Amino acid sequence: MAYTWPWAKQRAKIVWIDLGDLGDLVHPEGPHEQWQDHGLGLLRTILHQNNIQTDIVSTRAVTSWEQLAKQLVGYDMALMNVRSYTYPSGRKAAQIFKEINPRGLVMAGGMHATVAADEMLAVPEFDKICQGAGEKVIVDLVKDPAAFPRLFQGQSASSMAEWPMMDRTLWPKPADRRLARHFNWPLEPECGWGPGPVATILTSRVCPWQCVFCNESSYVPNMGRKPVDQVIDELNYLDDHWGIGSFVIHDSMFFQNPSWLKEWIEKYPTKANKRWTYWAAGRADTVRQWPDLFEALVKETNWNLVSIGFESGSDRILRLLNKECTEEDNDFAIDLLNRLGDQIEAQGKQPPKFWSNIMLGIPGELPEDAFKTMRMIKRMKRVFPSISYYAPYPGSALGFQLIAEGKSKMSKDNYHRFPDDEKVIGVDYKFYRELLAGRYEDEVNRGLSPEEQGRGYSGLYARALTKA
Amino acid sequence: MSSFSSPHFMYLFNLKNGKKKLAYGQSPEDALEILRIRLSEAEMAEILPQEYLKINQRQLQQYAKDLG
Repeated sequence: MAYTWPWAKQRAKIVWIDLGDLGDLVHPEGPHEQWQDHGLGLLRTILHQNNIQTDIVSTRAVTSWEQLAKQLVGYDMALMNVRSYTYPSGRKAAQIFKEINPRGLVMAGGMHATVAADEMLAVPEFDKICQGAGEKVIVDLVKDPAAFPRLFQGQSASSMAEWPMMDRTLWPKPADRRLARHFNWPLEPECGWGPGPVATILTSRVCPWQCVFCNESSYVPNMGRKPVDQVIDELNYLDDHWGIGSFVIHDSMFFQNPSWLKEWIEKYPTKANKRWTYWAAGRADTVRQWPDLFEALVKETNWNLVSIGFESGSDRILRLLNKECTEEDNDFAIDLLNRLGDQIEAQGKQPPKFWSNIMLGIPGELPEDAFKTMRMIKRMKRVFPSISYYAPYPGSALGFQLIAEGKSKMSKDNYHRFPDDEKVIGVDYKFYRELLAGRYEDEVNRGLSPEEQGRGYSGLYARALTKA
Repeated sequence: MSSFSSPHFMYLFNLKNGKKKLAYGQSPEDALEILRIRLSEAEMAEILPQEYLKINQRQLQQYAKDLG
C-alpha cells in the first residue's frame, strides 16, 4: 500500500483529479473558488456505489504542480471533469500524471470535452475523451477502457430522478486548517448569499434558451427535472447530518417549468426541516410571463437572492446576445422585486435581493449601451451586481463566430475566469475600466431619480467584477 | 414578451470567400440587422444576404469549422 502526501493512505488504483486554480482550497481569493464540482461528486458516487473505489486529489488543494505530482504516484487511471476554465489545469494535470505513470490512462470528460473536443484530442495525454454526460457510461468505461474509442459520446440519464443522492464526503476537503474551520465540509462555505453552512443543489439541467454567449442546450440533452420530493429529501438529509444555513440552487435556470414550481411552492414550506433562504436563477422574461408564480416563490419559499441574467440594459445588445429579453422585460422584473422587497421589509423581514448578472465589453456595444446597463443596475433597490467582461468561449455561438473572425483574445492557455481580463479584440477596455470606476456617473445618472442616482458608489462596480 | 412571443432562429449566411457567417434573429432580415450591430460595412459587404441556411442550434457544432 502506498502513501501519498498529505498523509493519506492510497487505497485505490483510480484517482479523481479535481480541477481548478492551484491553491483555491488552501488560500482562496474568494468564496466561489471553493464551490465543489457536482459532476465529479455524482460520477464518483456512481462509481463507489458500483464497488469501484477511487481516491481524490485536487489541483485546488496544492500550491505547486510538484505537490500534485507526489500525490499521483502509483495510480493506473486518472479521471477528470474538464470545463473550459479548468482546461489549462486539466491538461497540466494529465501531463504530470502520464510522466509519473506512463502506463496509466487519463479519462477526461466534461463541458470542454463536449464543446472543444478538437483541443482535447490534440493533447496526447488524454487517452479517452467523453463528450456529453457521463453518468450512464462511467462504470463501463472504468471497467473496460479498451472497449471505447478515444473520443466517444457519453449517455445521460433520462431524468435526474435516476441520479443517486450525491455522497458529498467524496468531494475534496479544504487543505488548510484555518480554511477548514469555516468551510463546513462536506457542505460549502458561506459566500455572502445566505448563512452557512451552505448546501449547493441541482433541481434541473440545461437552460433551454439560446443566448449566444452560452448555448448549453446545444450540447446537453433535455433531462427530466429532479422530483420536488427528492430535492426536499436531500435538503433534509443534509440538514440532519450537517445542518444547513441556506442553500444554492445551481440550476442554470431554476425559474422554468411552472408545474414543478407550483409543487415546490406547495411542498417546500411544509416538508422541509426549515424554510431556508436560497439563491436561484431566472430570466426577466419568465418573471414577466409568470409574475404571480414569481411572487409566490419569493414570499412563500424564501427565494431571497434572485439571480437574473439581465446581461445588458440595452435592447441593441440584448438582441446581439440573442437574449430574447427586452429592456421592458428587465424593467418589469426590477419593478416587481423592488415592490416585493418593500412589502417584505415593511413586515420586518429580510427583503429579497437581485444577484444581477451583467456583461460589458460586448463587441458592438456603444458607450450609451453601457450607460443604460449601469443605469439599469441603479434602478435595483437591493442588488449584488455580478459584472463581467464578455468572454468568447468556444462552444457558444458568438464565441465560435468571433474565434473564426480572429477577434478572440482568449486561447486554450487562458480559458480562466478572471473577470477583468481583456477578451475581445477591438473592445475599448479602458473605457469600461473608467466606467466601473465611476468616471461617467453624469451620463449614467441621466433620467434617474435622486434616490436611484445615490445608489452605488465609486469603486463598487469595479469590485463587482466577478468570474464568469 | 420576447422569447414567448417572438422566438429567434439561427441562420448561416454564405460569405463571398466561401466561409459562412452565423447570425440569429426572428427572420433572416432581422438576423442581418443584428449582425450589423457589431460588424463593419466592409465585413457586412462580404455576406451574401440571399444565400442562407436556417439551422437548429444543436446543429451549430458541425458548422463551426466553416465559420469565417
